[in-house]
Amino acid sequence: MQASDLITVVPECCAEVLESMYFTSVLEASSHFTPLPVSQADLLAFGLRFRGVVHGSFGLSIGAAMARSLAANFLGEEEDTLSEVEVAEVVGELTNMLCGSIVSRIEGTTKFALSHPEPLVREPESLDILTSKLETDSGILQVWIAIDPPLASLDNVVDESLQAAH
Amino acid sequence: MAFIILIVDDSPAMRRVVRRVVDLSGVEVGRYLEAGDGREALNVLHAEHVDLIVTDINMPIMDGEQLLLAVRSDAALAEIPVLVVSTDQSAARVQDMMALGASGYISKPFMPAALSEQMYRLLGGAPDAGF
Repeated sequence: MQASDLITVVPECCAEVLESMYFTSVLEASSHFTPLPVSQADLLAFGLRFRGVVHGSFGLSIGAAMARSLAANFLGEEEDTLSEVEVAEVVGELTNMLCGSIVSRIEGTTKFALSHPEPLVREPESLDILTSKLETDSGILQVWIAIDPPLASLDNVVDESLQAAH
Repeated sequence: MAFIILIVDDSPAMRRVVRRVVDLSGVEVGRYLEAGDGREALNVLHAEHVDLIVTDINMPIMDGEQLLLAVRSDAALAEIPVLVVSTDQSAARVQDMMALGASGYISKPFMPAALSEQMYRLLGGAPDAGF
């Protein structure tokens, strides 16, 4: 896999997760290698770290209204019956599921581990980061992924790992 | 027969979704038991009868792989089917978990019918045609 492949992989994986378990369609997606602001008042932001052939971090930010809508879809409940804690739990699980789906594509056949999703209070420090903005029928969701060491090192690393495994 | 199902996941939201999907599948469930990690799950298993374990892998304290090993190495628990539900879609992970004794593996995201089919396969009976 090349770092540039992430520009298509990230939106594809997000669309699959959102459509199959959150009953939300992605209408349009755009990706670019710039950091994502997460510290706006009306945004929920969660992040986690992943560890496998490649290591890195992943996060998302989502508006409060869209988060509530996704939570209602995911849990099969009415939006106004859900507490803020329940909505946050669903956004955490969404973070976990999106990252797992993307890292599965990056890693190919090799195993990986994810940390527990945690609320983010500030932007990730890495400047070498891919951000995707997804416009859905429930609102706008933004996700970011950073690889340690930097994204450029992703080029061929998985292929080399797979060759070594065989 | 009403089954007792233990759902092990550190995400309360995911435990709730699994319960909901199983409820909609038509599997007759007498009681759901829940645990947030493998250690909690083992405590439940030593205190309660359980017909099926549905477990995540990535969890704090004791993960799903360690839980599976503990269950399969305990004569009193070894026969309980263990269905793994995880975000790790890698072939290596699936092979490892099946080799350790998992009874089935579903990767997230999953369609509700996939979980339903596995439940019926492991507990017996036929899936609800409407699901």
